[in-house]
Amino acid sequence: MPTFRILSFVLALLAAASAWGASAVGEHKLRIVASNYPLAYFAERLAGPWATVTLPAPADVDPAYWRPDAKAVGAMQKADLILLNGADYEKWLAHVALPRLKLVDTSAGFRDRFIRIESAVVHSHGPAGQHSHEGTAFTTWLDFDQAAQQAEAVAKALIAKRPELKTAVLDGLKTLHADLAGLDSEVKRITAAKPGLPLMASHPVYQYLARRYALNLKSVHWEPGEMPPEKEWTGLDKTLARHPAKTMLWEARPAAAVADDLSARGIASAVFDPCANRPESGDFLAVMRQNVENLKTSFQRR
Amino acid sequence: MRHDFYLAWRHLRHHRTRTLILVLCLSLIAALPLGLHRVLDAGEYWMTRRAEATPLLVGARGSSVDLTLGALYFSEAGVPAIRMQEADRIAATGWADPLPLYARYRVQGQPLVGVTLDYFDFRGLVPAQGELPAILGDCVLGADAAERLGLGPGDTLASTSENAFDLAGTYPLKLHVTGVLAKARSPDDHVVFVDLQTAWVIDGLGHGHAETQMAAAQPDSPFGPATVRRADAGLLTYTEITPENLGSFHFHGDPATYPISAVIALPHDVRSATLLRGRYLDEKSETEIVRPLDVTRGLLQNIFRVGALFDGILLLVGAIAFLLVALVFALSLRLRQREIETIYLLGCARLAVLRLLFAEILLIALFAGAVCAAVLAAAAPYASDLARHFILS
Repeated sequence: MPTFRILSFVLALLAAASAWGASAVGEHKLRIVASNYPLAYFAERLAGPWATVTLPAPADVDPAYWRPDAKAVGAMQKADLILLNGADYEKWLAHVALPRLKLVDTSAGFRDRFIRIESAVVHSHGPAGQHSHEGTAFTTWLDFDQAAQQAEAVAKALIAKRPELKTAVLDGLKTLHADLAGLDSEVKRITAAKPGLPLMASHPVYQYLARRYALNLKSVHWEPGEMPPEKEWTGLDKTLARHPAKTMLWEARPAAAVADDLSARGIASAVFDPCANRPESGDFLAVMRQNVENLKTSFQRR
Repeated sequence: MRHDFYLAWRHLRHHRTRTLILVLCLSLIAALPLGLHRVLDAGEYWMTRRAEATPLLVGARGSSVDLTLGALYFSEAGVPAIRMQEADRIAATGWADPLPLYARYRVQGQPLVGVTLDYFDFRGLVPAQGELPAILGDCVLGADAAERLGLGPGDTLASTSENAFDLAGTYPLKLHVTGVLAKARSPDDHVVFVDLQTAWVIDGLGHGHAETQMAAAQPDSPFGPATVRRADAGLLTYTEITPENLGSFHFHGDPATYPISAVIALPHDVRSATLLRGRYLDEKSETEIVRPLDVTRGLLQNIFRVGALFDGILLLVGAIAFLLVALVFALSLRLRQREIETIYLLGCARLAVLRLLFAEILLIALFAGAVCAAVLAAAAPYASDLARHFILS
């Protein structure tokens, strides 16, 4: 009988300790700031209820071109983790004061495979002579293998910050990796059916997608909501003469008039949304699945 | 006994000048060694506490004392620069968190130190007024620096350019004060802190300028004119960072090669600290790692040796002064011979004269002790300043 009582007491103590631990974690939620939605999505999936994930860029702004003001920087300074895409995505980083130890460069693991943008602006001043501000392609997550590496970097940072969450974070990472691997293999399967199929892109943001899945892709510099001037159409016609694409990838659905003019040239419009900001509906995975479906339709078109 | 002290007091009052000189001599003889020890104790406390809180320090190979004094106490001598890649190297080991700092400049006599925001967390520095720096060009002042400069949040101060007369070189940058730190009773109180990137702008590694020319090139915006912004040597470099021109500020070269003074390494545990120290055993390496506490203890030992020498000298001076005081008393007794005889004639015992003399000596000692305590109390608030001035400058 005494043994039973002691056992009950110990079990009660353990239950109380567990409840206290859970509430302690709940009370001190990790404050995570992400510089774009894919990273916010990864953090939300991995940290679950133990973190509050914030995407400071306004909903109607591309986070790649957003610049934080002093108030936004102040809010970021108070975060426990600041998730950065890297690859020159956060151009504002050189203009703000943030705690380096809280910054997580999620693409640092594949820095050597960044794609350089060659058409850099050249200027000169002072004794240093001419120099250029070279750019780097930054939509790294459109290569789903790279996206998986970025998710892993997020997981590592979370575990380093909260070692007690290791099991939960690793479980979350496993399922997230499985989802990203599913997208990766599906795109590979689609593109392998017609290797070298010419494609057009409305914006030069698909560099990593094109490299990973061997897309034969040429870009113009168009916005979905704007009708390109005649000069652009002439340029497109010249490109099409050498590069007979039947599909143009868009970041968002193009204006009807633009889609019609493209259609008249035998080019269908397909949306492949990089999903840099939080979508109005669904989540990163849903948007990417829709992108893959749209790509599949393009590859099935004769 | 009360009458003895009354008579002694009246006698001392009557010979005011002599009493005053005696009191001052005795009080200063006592105050000097005590004050010196106060300054040394303050210096020891001040330096040891700072060194204890800083586990490891990485900097240019050379004098570990200069490195420690420059990086921890921001001494005017400064330290040779190392490269930012040293901080990245430490971070890459996974054994320690690096805190780079750049303490090359001074602004209106105060050290101007570039740090990352982590430094404030590490030292427990919080703003008493305003906020920490947020944007390039912001600065936050230590409590004493704010008092000396008479500045607060919203004010501005110009960084002092090293080459003010070099027209092709860097320009002073107008810094925006965003906050004043709460008093920490440490060297941080005297510092003007900026973000490391702002320190590099002051260094001329980053700058912003107006765009002056438009040249034909590949378009950088859809459907816009086919132009590219081009700057040349004739353009105007901004000397103040504002929200309007912030976007034009940029850095040149690889940030890993940018200069810093030192890196404070915060090892995760004892094993990590040992492993990290092992990385710096190569004598040919351009950088070295030091334990500030060891360096500070070594430095303090030297200071205490000098202090002991001072003690010896002061003891000798004190003994001489004591003999001189005794001589003064002996001579005064001779001068007071008739007065003493009168006391005997009045029927007082020899002991009464001794009691009178004892009361006089005691009163002088008490006055001297009070003056000594007052001098020490008045100097106490300046003990750490004096220690910093004499030990670190």
